[in-house]
Parts: sequence; structure tokens; C-alpha cells
Amino acid sequence: MPVFKTPFNGYSVKFSPFYENQLAVATAQNFGILGNGRVHVLQLGPTVTERAAFDTADGVYDLCWSESHDSLIVAAIADGSLKIYDSSLPPAANPIRSLHEHARECHGVDFNSVRKDSFLSASWDDTVKLWTVDRPASVRTFKEHAYCVYSAAWNPRHADVFASASGDCTTRIWDVREPGSTMILPAHEFEILSCDWNKYDDCIIATASVDKSIKVWDVRNYRIPVVVLNGHGYAVRKVKFSPHRGSLMASCSYDMTVCLWDYMVEDALIGRYDHHTEFAVGVDMSVLVEGLLASTGWDELVYVWQHGTDPRAP
Amino acid sequence: MATPSDAPPSSTDEKPQNPVSQVTQPTNDDRQDTKVEGVKESSPTSVFVNSEPIREEQVQNAVKFLSHPKVRGSPVMYRRSFLERKGLTKEEIDEAFRRVPDPTPAVATTQSVVTNQDGQIKSSSNGQQQPPAQVLQPTPVGPVGSSSKMGILSRFHWYRAVFAVGLLAVSGAGTAVLIKNAIVPRLKSWIRKVASEEDEEGPMKENNAKPNVAEEAAAAAKAAAAAAADVARASQEILITKSEEKRYFEELINLLNVQTNEMKSMSNAVQKLEGQSINGRITVEEQANQRVSRTSSRQPYTNGKADADSSSVRSLSPPAPVEPSAAPHPKSYMEIMAMIQRGEKPSNIREINDAPPNPNQPVSNPRLAPKPKPWESNQAQNSSLTTFQSQESSNGSNYGDNQLNGDDTLPWWQRKNVRITEIETADEQKFGSPNLPSNERPVQRSSWVPPQPPPVVMPEAAAAIRQPKKSSYLSDDQLLSQSTDVTDELQRITKISESGGAVDANGQISGLQSAELPQEENGSYLET
Repeated sequence: MPVFKTPFNGYSVKFSPFYENQLAVATAQNFGILGNGRVHVLQLGPTVTERAAFDTADGVYDLCWSESHDSLIVAAIADGSLKIYDSSLPPAANPIRSLHEHARECHGVDFNSVRKDSFLSASWDDTVKLWTVDRPASVRTFKEHAYCVYSAAWNPRHADVFASASGDCTTRIWDVREPGSTMILPAHEFEILSCDWNKYDDCIIATASVDKSIKVWDVRNYRIPVVVLNGHGYAVRKVKFSPHRGSLMASCSYDMTVCLWDYMVEDALIGRYDHHTEFAVGVDMSVLVEGLLASTGWDELVYVWQHGTDPRAP
Repeated sequence: MATPSDAPPSSTDEKPQNPVSQVTQPTNDDRQDTKVEGVKESSPTSVFVNSEPIREEQVQNAVKFLSHPKVRGSPVMYRRSFLERKGLTKEEIDEAFRRVPDPTPAVATTQSVVTNQDGQIKSSSNGQQQPPAQVLQPTPVGPVGSSSKMGILSRFHWYRAVFAVGLLAVSGAGTAVLIKNAIVPRLKSWIRKVASEEDEEGPMKENNAKPNVAEEAAAAAKAAAAAAADVARASQEILITKSEEKRYFEELINLLNVQTNEMKSMSNAVQKLEGQSINGRITVEEQANQRVSRTSSRQPYTNGKADADSSSVRSLSPPAPVEPSAAPHPKSYMEIMAMIQRGEKPSNIREINDAPPNPNQPVSNPRLAPKPKPWESNQAQNSSLTTFQSQESSNGSNYGDNQLNGDDTLPWWQRKNVRITEIETADEQKFGSPNLPSNERPVQRSSWVPPQPPPVVMPEAAAAIRQPKKSSYLSDDQLLSQSTDVTDELQRITKISESGGAVDANGQISGLQSAELPQEENGSYLET
């Protein structure tokens, strides 16, 4: 499987929902502590080639593809801004928008796959903001968390529901029509770095935490987790449910591995890939190609491979 | 299932009154009947709402917590956060706050979410300003985190230092005056007394007989010795006081030195303030790997290995927190952190202007229509087949770069691993069960239509997927039925995919999903 080397440390990777062979990578210089950033748009082939690259003044912590426009990418920048890039335009015409409202770093961004016109940004200023591409200002601000919000994820079936994962050890479920959060899940005893919804059961949500575990929750009975997945050696950085199998999910961790889980099964860990030599920070499963995984990490490498194969195989 | 005490599904306009309506019993009773029906035909949004009634025990525990004097002194935000982490619902927390006579008015403001049509977030953050202002938000004046506390302490030290210096000076002057006024005259009187005694003894000596001369001489000598001793004692006392004064002044000088050191550290902290956003970023990045003590807000731990500068705002690397061990960071990460600590900027950073060159330019038109997701309804999938064929040509242009035009072979990322499938076929004979779909997959089409289970490395897991374990932890009957529903769905899904993905029966797949599949694309946020 071809590998792509980024000049900066990788932070996030996302497959395009329009093109099977395209993906975007968010990178930040100097491990994201201080430095520039770059958004790469990669094309898969016999080798992985770079279609476009956009430089930013500060590190890029996360990005997402637009669900309605095939070449738009929203990037979460470490200076608190969100920048929208159009990969069909040359770099000189990019970014096409810059939205700067957050007081601290923007750490997560997610596009609404049902309504396809709005996206969320999760920031270290404890807030989540709702935006649309055509408006220069945010539509809503959700301010309840007591600490940094690391990630926000739209519900795959309900256009108005989303979840946020925060360093205050809670995951909150929100409805954009309500003024405040509708549910508070005290999911872990430590910071929660990521959350994602089950694409095939809209009431199941997974949370990944610094306590090295992933917990799967049913919001209808949220006091007890459905299952607790242990196996990572260090904090779990990101968790992603499979778009093709209801109980399958991928996770990446500071223990440099990407793991695949099936939480309905007794022995839930069904795959483990240790190809990275530094923190594995981003992972994604392709919506268009079943079983296709991508991951990136602080070792400045982007791997794309099929589940069941060796990512490092030539 | 706990009876939902919130608004019935249809009345979304009642939802904002949720916190209030939870308490009033009659409202709950009125909704009892509608609740039962509401559960059965629950609309999507009601599932994502807390449907439990208020637990009195939890509220009482919260009231006890909030009434504790130490808790009273903490910011409201932290109290709320603590209760949330203990699993209390919003309604229970609000009720507890209501019961505790809380003088701070921040209860209402902490809950408010400002809908900013004009992008004014300052107004909402003002309500939050008081609790996190001191430490969390970057204040323009005070340093962040521990150095703010240091600043306060150092200010105290200043006062204390000035006070101490004044006190010492006064005491030193007082002792000097005392010495001059009290001890020296006493000394003089002692000498005069001795001298007068000698004089008195002189005439007495002449009257007395000669054999008393020796005695008197001895007495005189004794008196002289006593006087000398007194003088010596007095001089010693003077010396002692002088040495005390010296000590006082030395202590004073030490204190001044301490003050200058603190001044230096404060200037260092000010320097660090200039790179404060970096510091905060590092702080947060490290918090991801360590436990954050709630009482100390964002004060990070310092690494045992690294520099233990107490005035440092951030930790140099994620140290081992209470339970989960922190991941070791790469060496160059440590180097960069050390550079930032010293105030140096890494040399590889460029000045980049990433502002949009034309922010008002309208967004270009998309070239592709959105594709339906694999988990969306079957009807969407059928339509997707037709749209996919129309898009194949446009996808072909992408493949052109890869020189796959007109090539029948599947790109490597779509090809399932042949090696794995060979293993699978071998295992199939072993297990005797048709494990996975046969090798003649439709390779000409993209494999997202229809979804097939990927080749699993561990056939046992695949077999286990067929019969997922009955969840023993779900004791509730309803949940058991839910889990069996899920297993039925799984079995149905796998059967369908095995048959080659013939999704002709609409009812088959749509039956898997919940009945109320809302396609809510009609509404828009902007219209509310």
C-alpha cells in the first residue's frame, strides 16, 4: 500500500464523500505546538499523489469535506479560525472563506451529512459553534462545557442532533432547536477526546477517552455503557464507526496503533495495526469503499489500506 | 423504561420550559397518558432527552455538597461541572441550586446559551467571566494559571516585606535608643557606685586599725573586680545588641534578595505571557494525557524528569497522572517544548498570510450531486444505482490520472486482499459454514453498492458475528428485546449481503431500520 509523507506532523485524515480515491489530510508543524499548518488533498493510485496543498499560518487540527459540494473542505485551525478551501481552485484563490469567532484553538469540525448545508466546530474555548457555508457568522453557539471541547459529531440520521466530547469528562447530546444540551453523559473519569455515532443505530454513541478505553453508550439507557472496550495502551485519540457495518468501529491511539473493534462480539478487538512510529492521531473509514481505512500520525505519514491487509506492505 | 417526564414529542415549543416543568407535578400527571403513547411512537428527538424523573436522593446529596463552606467559595461553573460528572441531570442540578440559598446570581447565566445572530460572543462570555476569568480565559492583565497565584502571593510578599523591613528598622532603632538611654546610664551609675564605695571605704580605712588594711584592700580589689565585671558585662551586652542588629540587617538583606529573585521570576513570567497562547495550547495538549485536578482548574502537573520550575504555566511533557499512564512523547517534541519554555521560537516557522484573497466571491458550483450514504434507506440506494452510473464517467476522469482508463482491473484500494480470501476458502472447508461471499464479487462496480462484510482475518469473529453474544449486562427486558432486534438485524444484513446484495425487497431492509425515518431536510435552522 502506498504511503504519503507529509512535511508536517499529521493531525487528521478524511476520505472524500464524493470521490473514492480522494482524501484530505490536516497537518501541523512542530507537533502542533507552534508553527504553520498545511491541508493536503491526496489522490490514490499506484502511488499516493498530492492534488493540492494549502498552507496556513497556524497548525491545522482537523478538517472535514463538505457533504454538498465535492471540492470544499472546512479546516479547523489552531488560531481559532475555520478556513474553507475549494480544491478545484488554485492555491492562490484559497481559502475562499475564513471564519474567526472562537477565542481559542479549533480542535474539531464535522459536516452535517443529513442536511448537508451546515457544520460544527469544537473549540478549546469550551464552545461548539454551528455554521453554514454561506454565512460569515456562526448561526448558534453552544456554551455549556466546563473545559475544552475536543470533538463534535452529527447524528447520522437526525439532522438536528449532535454530540460533543469534552475535557470536562462529559459527553453532551444537543439538539440545535433547544437552547441547551438535552443529555449529559458523564462518560469517563478522564478527558473524552472523541465521540462518534453508530451509523446503523442512531441511539448508539461511542466515546474515546484518555483513560485508554472506548465506551459504547445507548442514549436510551445512558447510565451504564453498553460495552467498555479496553485494549489500547494509551489515550485513545479518535473513534470512528464504520459506514458499512453497524457494529464495526476504528480507533487510533497514542499507543501508535489503529484498532478495529466489533462491540457486539465477545472478543471485541478484531484488528490491530501498529504501522505508525509515533502517536496515531487521525483515522477514517471510507464511506464509498467498504473496508478502506486511512490513518495519520505524528510520524508524518499517511497510510491507506484495506482492512485485513498490512498497511506497510508495498 | 423510565417514564419520560418531558414534553410530548410534538410540542417542541414546550421544551425550553423543561427545567421548570420537571418540578411541577400536575404537569407531569397530565402528560402521563400522552407519555405512554409517546414512548411507543417516540419521535426521534425525544430519545435524546433525559427522560428520568428527578431523583430526590441525588438532589439531596447535591444540596449537601453545595452547602459545604468550601464549595461555597468555588466558582459556580466548577460546582455544576462536578455535579454533572457525578451523573446528575440538568433538572436535578437546577433543583439543588434552587434549594441552596446561593447568593451568586450566576446560576441562570451559566445555563444560558446565546444565539448570536450578530456574532457577539462577548456578552455570553461575560456571564462566564467571573468563574473562569481568573485562570482560564486569557486576561489582559494577570498572568495565567499558577503565575497568577504567584503574583498574588508575591504581592502579599511585597507588603509583608515592606512591613517587616519597617518593623525591623523600628526595632533596631528602638534597641539602639534603649542601649543609649538605659544601659549606658546604668553602666555609668554602676561605675559611680563602685567608685563611691571605694571612696567611702577610704576614710573608714584610716579610722580602723592597721590589721584591717589587708581586708580592706581585698574588699577594694573585689569591688574593682566586680566593677570590671560589670563593665565587661555591659560591653558584652552592647556587643550582643550590635550583633543582633547586624543579624536583623542581614535578614533584611536576605529578604530583599528574595524580593529581587521574585521580581526576576515575575519578569520571566511576563516574557512567557507573550507566548501565552502557545503555553495554553501546550497546557491543553498535555491535559489530553493527564488528569486535570478540578480544584486547580487548568494548572498542569510538572514532569518529574523535566524542569520543575514552579512558576511554569505548562508541563513539559505529559507526566503520569493518577491512573492512566501518559504516553511518552517523541524526543524532538521535548526539544520543541524546551525551546518554547525558554521563549525561543523554532526556526522553521514561516510568515504565511492565509487570509482569503476574495472573501466575497460566491462559492463555485459543485460538479457532483451528493451521494447517499450506505446506511440510508433502501429507496435511496436504488436511486443511487442510477446516479452512480451517471457518475461513473466523471469518476473515470479521476482515474485518468492513474492510467486506469479503459482498464478493467479494480484499483488497489477497492480490491479485497486476495490472500485473505484464500485463507477464507480454506477455512470454509474447516468450519463447514458458508462464511463469506464468494470470490465472484461484482468487481466492475464500486463496492459500496451493496455493502458486503469485508474479509475478516479471524473467522471465529465472523462466526461470532452470526450469533452475537446475548448482552448479560442488559437486565431490562426491553433492552434484551432491543438486543435481539439488533441481532436479527445483523443476521438479516449478513444474509442479504451473502446473497450477492440483491436488494429487491424493499420491505426487507427498511424493516431493519426504525419505523420513523425522518428525512428532515425541509427544515432549516435559519427559519426558526
